Amino acid sequence: MKNKSKQAKTVEAKKRELLSILKDQGLTVYNELNNGKFPQFSIPSRSVSNIVYDKKLRQYILGKAAAVRSARNMSQLRSFTQLAWLAFFVNRLVNEGKTSTLRDIYYSSQAFAIDFEDQPESDNIIVDLEAILTRAREDFHVFPEERSSVFGNLTIEYTVPGYEGKRMNLSDHPDGYLIGPSLSSAELVDTDAELVIAIEKGGLFTRFVEEKVHKKFKAIIVDTAGQAPRSTRYLLKRLSTELGLPVVILADGDVYGEHIAMVIKSGSANAAHLRELTVPDAKWLGVWATDIEKYKLPTIPMTESDVKRIYELQRDPRYQEGNWKTQLEVFLKLKRKAELEAFSKYGLTNITDKYLPEKLELAKSL
Amino acid sequence: MSSIKETFSQISPSEFFYRNRDLAGFSNPTRSLYTSVREFVENALDACDQKGVLPDVHLSIKAVDTEQPDPKSYILSVKDNGPGIEPKHVPLAFGTVLYGSKFGLKQARGMFGLGATMAILYGQITTNKPVTVKSCADGKTQDEFVMLLDIQKNKPIIQKHTTKEASKTGLSVSIILEGDYSKAGIKIRDYVAQTSLITPYASITFEEPSGEKFHYPRIVKVMPTPPTIIKPHPHGIDVETIRRMMVDTHYQIPVVDNKMIAKVRSELGLQKKNPNSKVILEKAQKKWSGLSRPVRIVIAMISFLDMDFEKLSKIRIDDLDVPNKKLTYWDFGDSQSHIIALDPETPYYKQIANTVAGDTLHSFLTKRFQRVGPTTADKFAEFAKFKPEKRIGSMTNEDLVRLADSLQKFEEFLSPDPSCLAPLGEEPLSKGIMKFFNPEFASVIQRSASAYSGFPFIIEMGIAYGGDILPKGLQVYRFANRIPLLYDEGSDVVLKVVNEVDWSRYKIKGDPPLVIVSHICSTRIPYKTVGKENVADRPEIERELKNALQFLARKLAVHMSRQGMADMAKKRANLYSKYVPLIAQFVTELSGNKKEPNYKQLIQKGSEIEEQV
Repeated sequence: MKNKSKQAKTVEAKKRELLSILKDQGLTVYNELNNGKFPQFSIPSRSVSNIVYDKKLRQYILGKAAAVRSARNMSQLRSFTQLAWLAFFVNRLVNEGKTSTLRDIYYSSQAFAIDFEDQPESDNIIVDLEAILTRAREDFHVFPEERSSVFGNLTIEYTVPGYEGKRMNLSDHPDGYLIGPSLSSAELVDTDAELVIAIEKGGLFTRFVEEKVHKKFKAIIVDTAGQAPRSTRYLLKRLSTELGLPVVILADGDVYGEHIAMVIKSGSANAAHLRELTVPDAKWLGVWATDIEKYKLPTIPMTESDVKRIYELQRDPRYQEGNWKTQLEVFLKLKRKAELEAFSKYGLTNITDKYLPEKLELAKSL
Repeated sequence: MSSIKETFSQISPSEFFYRNRDLAGFSNPTRSLYTSVREFVENALDACDQKGVLPDVHLSIKAVDTEQPDPKSYILSVKDNGPGIEPKHVPLAFGTVLYGSKFGLKQARGMFGLGATMAILYGQITTNKPVTVKSCADGKTQDEFVMLLDIQKNKPIIQKHTTKEASKTGLSVSIILEGDYSKAGIKIRDYVAQTSLITPYASITFEEPSGEKFHYPRIVKVMPTPPTIIKPHPHGIDVETIRRMMVDTHYQIPVVDNKMIAKVRSELGLQKKNPNSKVILEKAQKKWSGLSRPVRIVIAMISFLDMDFEKLSKIRIDDLDVPNKKLTYWDFGDSQSHIIALDPETPYYKQIANTVAGDTLHSFLTKRFQRVGPTTADKFAEFAKFKPEKRIGSMTNEDLVRLADSLQKFEEFLSPDPSCLAPLGEEPLSKGIMKFFNPEFASVIQRSASAYSGFPFIIEMGIAYGGDILPKGLQVYRFANRIPLLYDEGSDVVLKVVNEVDWSRYKIKGDPPLVIVSHICSTRIPYKTVGKENVADRPEIERELKNALQFLARKLAVHMSRQGMADMAKKRANLYSKYVPLIAQFVTELSGNKKEPNYKQLIQKGSEIEEQV
């Protein structure tokens, strides 16, 4: 009960804070209009040159450069209006306790003669607003389409309207629970888990549930469904900080798998304007390039774009040392990759019986 | 050769044109009707231009029998307010071919005034009807002639001649000819319309066979400066022209060949095979008054040279220097040049002096050509390797060819005198374009005079954009010496130049509402064909056209970007009135206000800034 009120309070405080910022922004523009001045927003620049790696925070952050979007500039007038509309719309969402999706925003705009040409344009404005408010879109109730899920012995309590106080255990449903707005804002009440395993693929997630990995390893299993969406990374972050659980990551044995782990650990360049989406202590269990030989995994050859991606990541400051660097080099040498399913060659349970324990043991020393 | 020449000389010019009427644009009823209209209208305008009268031209075409299908007989009448023609000249002017006053060197629509007679001839051939000419030259009496053309004799046959009182000068010509108006109508209407564009100082009315009337009122009240008749430029000269100019001066020392010797013998009645000079001179003195001029000169030379016929045919007279009383000759026998003194006391001296009273090369050049002063004449003589004192009359064929060649090649002649040209002028052209197209933008330019092959020319050009002009792409109106060129535009030099322009550089895209009016004025337009419908691409003309077009295109580009800026301002104003109220609406709710902010002034401001930008 104590925990519950704390999360509710946090949610409430966050909401009040957001509404106050929105009102302040609105008032500024209102007054400027009244005084015959052209209103403007200062938006932190998200151009590549302004994205820098912060070693202390262990994630990408935006530099000091900012772009001014002014109603004075004819070419910016439209996007300025779109931004004003989004703030206005978000204000309503948050006040009324409703949620929306990216797609939804695109269509809602049409009721207000705000002509977004396509969804990418409206998505872009949403990111602008995130950057201005330094809040994730989830904070202002805008969610992407969800696809990732979570399973494990974790009791949560909803804070969304109509479900306040209702509790749920995340091991009740074997398919796992969708990590949506309700779950993201729920209070994490109780768990006996000692570990969080993030896994890249739905198929393996199901295998893990079947094989009772949650019990054997006292783990909460999270399916990232490829590159982890923000809500998932946010949940991982909360599991790590609020419940103090270590997070480990299992992904395909290729350059993309390695990067999925890296994004969970230290964020993406796309979200450099946001905090609280990283798990700096998360550990990448595999599949490493060195595992391919060690476990004699069946492989498939890399494509040209795989190789290109390796070169790209080799220029990323986070890949300049340690295991991250080593694995990239080995991948480049092998020019071959192995998926998580490759372990099935040695039996369906080989991955949970042999590989996982070995890697977890190894992880302790990482 | 000589027999063919004789045959030709026996055909009258009328007959010649009758046989070759296709050449002059009378190949079929459609073309003939169109050509006839052109010839009469252009004659009327030329007549007015020459006397500095603001033209008032009435053209009417009526069917003789409206029920008949085309081609059929039409009555074509053209009436003007020009100076008219004196009654005594009327029969010759309209009843013979090759009677005209347009042989001088100056810009005019038609070259020799032949076309009108051709039209009359054509009318007579096709309908066997006479031409009716009403002329008033003194402003008091009008003479009316009804006449036919005697084609074989090239003489008019006057059927009727009446006079009556009149109050104004002017000429009216009416013919009946076979034509096809259903086919020629479009071209004739275009022709009249375009003529009014390039002749904005004229008032033109045109009545169609259907009774429909087109009236093109006078737009400018000032006549363009009339051209003056000038001497030819050396660059525009060929051997034949020089010969004709020399014939004008009656200036020649006869060549003593067998033919000439025979002529001398027969005139003197000489029997002896090769009489010596004494015998010849004695005979000549007796018969002097009956001798022809060339024979007299030969006799004079025999007296000075003391030679018989045989010897005389073996020398070449190089120079007869009358002032210095010296004769220079080349002897083919000893291959040497000889100079003998002329005794001014003998009667023969006078004969020679008179004959050679013509010009030296130096004075021939300075007197008979434009742009040749004494210094230039000397320089030229040196260039052409002639002595400046060389008598024109003593020149051999080879000399003449060398002279003509050198005249073409010598580069120090000033460019031709453009005073023989009559460009329309920028203001009348601009007014004509404004009236004709009612465009949103128009600009004109008159280039300074230039020349090709010794013929001066001036390019005038206008550009018009937008307004009433339909956006169906670039249209080019071509004129030459104030005549619209309607046919064969594909191969015209103007089209070539226009098509070479990259219009996108001048902010022109797609099918623009764009018109270009090009006017070439020259004493000789280098037409590609006899039909006089397209102009050949002389590099000098092409360059001038290009310069004119570039100048205009740049002006248009300035207009377009101004236009673009104005469009932008409008767009901007629209944007602000669209978006600012929306912003106001959103932030009112966002900021928790009830009343919307006063954003009116901002919309105003918004539409104003771009002009500073």
